[in-house]
Amino acid sequence: MALPNQQQVNYPNFKLVIVGDGGTGKTTFVKRHLTGEFEKKYEPTIGVEVHPLDFHTNCGKIRFYCWDTAGQEKFGGLRDGYYIHGQCAIIMFDVTARLTYKNVPTWHRDLCRVCENIPIVLCGNKVDVKNRQVKAKMVTFHRKKNLQYYEISAKSNYNFEKPFLYLARKLAGDQNLHFVESPALAPPEVHIDLAQQQLHEKELIDAAAQPLPDDDDESFD
Amino acid sequence: MQKEEGEMGGGGGEAQMEMVGKAFVKHYYGLFDAGSRPALAGLYHPSTSILSFEGRRFDGADSIGRHLSKLPFELCRHMVATVDCQGSPFAAGGILVFVTGSLQLVGEEHVQPQL
Repeated sequence: MALPNQQQVNYPNFKLVIVGDGGTGKTTFVKRHLTGEFEKKYEPTIGVEVHPLDFHTNCGKIRFYCWDTAGQEKFGGLRDGYYIHGQCAIIMFDVTARLTYKNVPTWHRDLCRVCENIPIVLCGNKVDVKNRQVKAKMVTFHRKKNLQYYEISAKSNYNFEKPFLYLARKLAGDQNLHFVESPALAPPEVHIDLAQQQLHEKELIDAAAQPLPDDDDESFD
Repeated sequence: MQKEEGEMGGGGGEAQMEMVGKAFVKHYYGLFDAGSRPALAGLYHPSTSILSFEGRRFDGADSIGRHLSKLPFELCRHMVATVDCQGSPFAAGGILVFVTGSLQLVGEEHVQPQL
């Protein structure tokens, strides 16, 4: 959903809400997409910045209106007006700050209270940082709630397109949908150790084959 | 976002009430914005003060101070738009101060609408 002062387009477009603790990199992430950053609009009464992110698929263009807060999440939850009419979502945490992962169930609950049954991607950001606190195999929430999980590094652009491709496929109902060209992204500010990250990705695949830990849904202690 | 109840000793009149109320608001948000949030606890009553904050409730100075201290940011900026002061019907010499405005966190490009 675009803002009233924002250009509407005649190709498929969806409201994407981004939630997660303050400081996890939500704003940094959406700002990587350069045309979205150029066309973003701020709505002061809700306190939200909406970035229109276009992607080119084999079925034509698709636009995500990405809703990003002005930091309200640092005070408490977000208002219903932020979630309402959300058609897909990204929940972000920071793999270098354990608490941000512990808070993921709260964000998921708040989101699902307003937006029932929308496709959701869980993103573990900052995987470029050497000293991770949340190891890949510790991330199990997505399996309990049937979400997709990606490890990302906003500053290096690592896996930037993955969450959008997953959501586009779900929204289009076409698992074969693919992107045919890459959007212009801000140049990487850090470089990710790809060999190391491949080990993390393997850890994730191995963990997916293990039974889920038998703990309470809402607790990661 | 917050409604504060200050106290003043006797007497008053509109002008004085206004002056005390505004001074209190300046002091309160001065501490808040300078990263001195733990000191705000001293402005609340040890047991009877209540802070309503984004749908959550905190009772007593300790609990209020703890919550304000651990908000996940250091500095911020409150931009006060209106300050309205009334004599409190509940406490002799008390003043009810209603504040509206917006606030901005360091590192955020935009101000937030609510205060």
